[in-house]
Amino acid sequence: MSIQFKSITELNELLDNKAISVLELTQESIQLAKKYSELNCFVTLNEENSSNRASAIDRDQKNTSLLSGIPLAQKDLFCTEGLRTTCSSKILSNFIPPYTATVVEKLEDAGSITIGKTNMDEFAMGSSNETSFFGSVHNPWKKGFVPGGSSGGSAAAVAAGIVPAATGTDTGGSIRQPAAHCGITGLKPTYGRISRWGMIAFASSLDQAGPLARSAEDCAILLNSMSGYDSKDTTSLNSDVPNFLENINQSIKGKKIGIIKEFDLSDLDTEVQKRFDESKKAYENLGAEFIEVSLPNISASVPTYYSIAPAECSSNLSRYDGVRFGHRAENTDDLNDLYIKSRSEGFGDEVKRRILIGTYALSAGYYDAYYKKAQQVRRLIKNDFDQVFKSIDLLMTPTSPYTAFKFESKGTQNPVELYLEDLFTISSNLAGLPAISIPHGQVNSLPVGLQLIGNFLREDELLNAAHVFQQNSDFHHAKPNLENFK
Amino acid sequence: MSWETVIGLETHVQLSTKTKLFSRASTAFGASPNTNVNLIDCGLPGVLPSVNKEAFYKAIRFGMAIGAHINQTSIFDRKNYFYADLPKGYQITQMDLPIVLGGSIEILNENSSKTINITRAHLEEDAGKSIHDEFEGFSAIDLNRAGTPLLEIVSEPEISSAKEAVAYMKAMHQLVTYLDVSDGNMAQGSLRCDANVSIRKSGDSELGIRTEIKNINSFKFIEKAINFEIKRQIKVLESGEKVTQETRLYDSAKDETRPMRSKEFANDYRYFPEPDLLPVVISNEEMQKIKDEFPELPNEKETRYQNEYGLSSYDAQIIASSKSMADFFESSLTGVKNYSLLANWLIGEISAYLNKELIEIHESKLSSENIAMLINRIDDQTISGKIGKSIFEEMCINGSSPDQIIESKGLKQITDDDSIEKVVDEVIENNSEQVQGFKSGKEKLFGFFVGQVMKKTQGKANPQTVNKILKEKLAK
Amino acid sequence: MDQETVRTICYLARLEIDQNKSVKIQKDLETIIELIGSLQSIDTFDIEPLYNPLEMTAFKHDDLETSDNKKNKFLENAAESNEDYFLVPRVVE
Repeated sequence: MSIQFKSITELNELLDNKAISVLELTQESIQLAKKYSELNCFVTLNEENSSNRASAIDRDQKNTSLLSGIPLAQKDLFCTEGLRTTCSSKILSNFIPPYTATVVEKLEDAGSITIGKTNMDEFAMGSSNETSFFGSVHNPWKKGFVPGGSSGGSAAAVAAGIVPAATGTDTGGSIRQPAAHCGITGLKPTYGRISRWGMIAFASSLDQAGPLARSAEDCAILLNSMSGYDSKDTTSLNSDVPNFLENINQSIKGKKIGIIKEFDLSDLDTEVQKRFDESKKAYENLGAEFIEVSLPNISASVPTYYSIAPAECSSNLSRYDGVRFGHRAENTDDLNDLYIKSRSEGFGDEVKRRILIGTYALSAGYYDAYYKKAQQVRRLIKNDFDQVFKSIDLLMTPTSPYTAFKFESKGTQNPVELYLEDLFTISSNLAGLPAISIPHGQVNSLPVGLQLIGNFLREDELLNAAHVFQQNSDFHHAKPNLENFK
Repeated sequence: MSWETVIGLETHVQLSTKTKLFSRASTAFGASPNTNVNLIDCGLPGVLPSVNKEAFYKAIRFGMAIGAHINQTSIFDRKNYFYADLPKGYQITQMDLPIVLGGSIEILNENSSKTINITRAHLEEDAGKSIHDEFEGFSAIDLNRAGTPLLEIVSEPEISSAKEAVAYMKAMHQLVTYLDVSDGNMAQGSLRCDANVSIRKSGDSELGIRTEIKNINSFKFIEKAINFEIKRQIKVLESGEKVTQETRLYDSAKDETRPMRSKEFANDYRYFPEPDLLPVVISNEEMQKIKDEFPELPNEKETRYQNEYGLSSYDAQIIASSKSMADFFESSLTGVKNYSLLANWLIGEISAYLNKELIEIHESKLSSENIAMLINRIDDQTISGKIGKSIFEEMCINGSSPDQIIESKGLKQITDDDSIEKVVDEVIENNSEQVQGFKSGKEKLFGFFVGQVMKKTQGKANPQTVNKILKEKLAK
Repeated sequence: MDQETVRTICYLARLEIDQNKSVKIQKDLETIIELIGSLQSIDTFDIEPLYNPLEMTAFKHDDLETSDNKKNKFLENAAESNEDYFLVPRVVE
């Protein structure tokens, strides 16, 4: 019996009925990862450790949690003690962390098994997974096409049915956009909902971990375990974590969904527009009401983000200096030379570009005009959200303006072209709000994602709205043809 | 032409917290290299800082003591630069909203006092330590000190001589040790300063171009380094050239300052608010608690010592001027009846010993219990003051208790009349010639008899009793 | 932005750019700076910057030591170290 494409609930049932052992399940998941190695979604497989862990769980027979014995993949920027963690960068290509990220610890405490670390854009900087030192990841739906990024490996592994779910991180859309391009469900929680301890930083005030899975229900299962205050991350939220499965089935009749006036969808591909209109109709049939709302500053999201994120990144990435860990260049003349050569050899072009932009934006004379200005605009954007959430429950947008594109077809001449991929996703990072992407059909045989943005700490509403949609549609059950990747 | 010196000091005070500013690793001095280092101090990927409450409380206590404004909401910023012992590639410090703003410190220089205004004091983390001369071709990095909380206190450029700078640092030392903000140990780097020195023509209102002498860590070096720099700058100016604005290092072996090579590139620190830390707020309740628990300051102690223990104002001032001395005095008080004798000993013998050894009292083998015992034994005449001194010498060496020493060496003073009378009789009997002489008017010989008695009793006879009995016997 | 500025920024960031890429990088940076420069048209007078989406204050921990000595693991991860120290090319002060 194949476990490929099975949901967490289905796998849990198989384990409960002893139709399969945890060890069998784990090994099969690893076999699938190897079988589809051409997808290139894994940087490192955790074969031996995960088998040992699986056997131990089989012995203990303690299947108390829905995640017990479930194989998961972790984005390769969550530190895993003793297991190489690279951020898909040459500079960390040999880094063995001496500690484990809180997120991974929590998921493993719930009984899940980390089968491997997934490929990503280098240091999570990118929207196509093409900036990885370990090579591009193929979109399972179409060879030679990007899976989106930066959590491209996680999205592809879930879309290919290798694991039922994976972790990702989202700084400007890095969970939602690859989820959309790969036809799966991805949730970026409220900033602070999940601890950032052990999650290698890109932009501290924007980064947030979240789940990618084949359904909203499976995302809820992961979120239940991932969430919660962590004294090691003083920017994590000390507030109650609800059971996200509890109200996931309830009717959404009467829910008010906002459509953002400032996003002119008529610029989009007509097919993408069409999918959007169909989903709007589907929600209306489920009892939701649509209201056009205005967020006057939202169009400033992209420039705001591209000022703040690189600034924070330029500082966060200063620790990669070749001294205490990571790549060190050989034959250097002095300390400065060691820094310059180690960093220049260790980082890829996109990372360098962002470090340089950030360095510039923070440098004397430009700080007020770029960094501070952007943080002021950020407040205006957040104020806009606060305002509209007084009268609505959710916002709805496409996740991405386009479907997945061909390798090396975007951003090579002009990096800003690729930055515009994040148009719809970035604002929720700036405001710290939760947002989800769910598959809602295809255009030219490639999946298209629908984004719902929720109010502060209202992941429950997002999951509810997504789940009810999925109970009434089949888009999330669509499976790619993986014949080409064997 | 006459020149005028303008000095501003940036003092780095290492706060005496048990753990670091942003991690819970120990700050203990002298640990084996890289052992007081945790994930955060090592700046590993994925780690996050969290704020040590006690560091804030200590900084606030300092601010209150100098009459400064306390920013109850303060934020941390990142100062970005690369250095081998700076693990993250940035230092977490406070730029726009420091915890302490304003205030002033009184200094005493050659009996005249002067007020030096404080610009600000902010919290920041210390860097690690680079060792440049121990391994061929390499600098070695020890991160034990990385993350240790520092309070950087910036003075206004109101100091006008090397001597005043020393007086300022001495006042600072007294204050921070008194407030229990820092152990003030300069040899271990707990109190060090950067001196900004410039020269201008007397009467000019504009400041001259300054140089910054980095990391000076003793009173002596502060005076020498600044004096060297003043002379150097005057020479430069008198030869018609301009002083270069630069960072210099004081080399105590050569007694000179020279430009620091590692600082030759002008830096742009790209300060911005630390996104991993939310603003730190100190509540009114916390402020009140700090006020309620405020330690007694030197002048308060001085008055109290006079009122409660009847010390002279001179004694009280000397003891109160040093925190460690005052602490020792107070902990020795229990059980001691003769407070002024204790004070005399502290100011006399004990201080002389400490000055000779160049140590602080808590670094010596002397305990307050033992000193109290010694004072009591002198006071109750178990031993004479002179024997007390020889016992004290031994206490300094091996830390044993006065009673042990008295017991093992049989130093107990002979006070009973019968035993002394027996010795006196012997002396009179064996020295009939001198007795004759005394009786015939050579009164100076009295000292000879006392000496003989003391010699026979190895100095243990109570001198008053000896005098009394001798007088009686010789009068017969 | 000119080549000189690019060089200064590169030095501050301790990065070096291949000669053949430096014109392209300069152009990329200009494009991005132009993008973020578009913010200038927004009126932010008197607007407090939002440095973190959580408008809360920091939790402060007690001054209590937790021992966590991973010296050997730290030194193992370094490209060059001896039994006690991280090593770097000798620095002359």
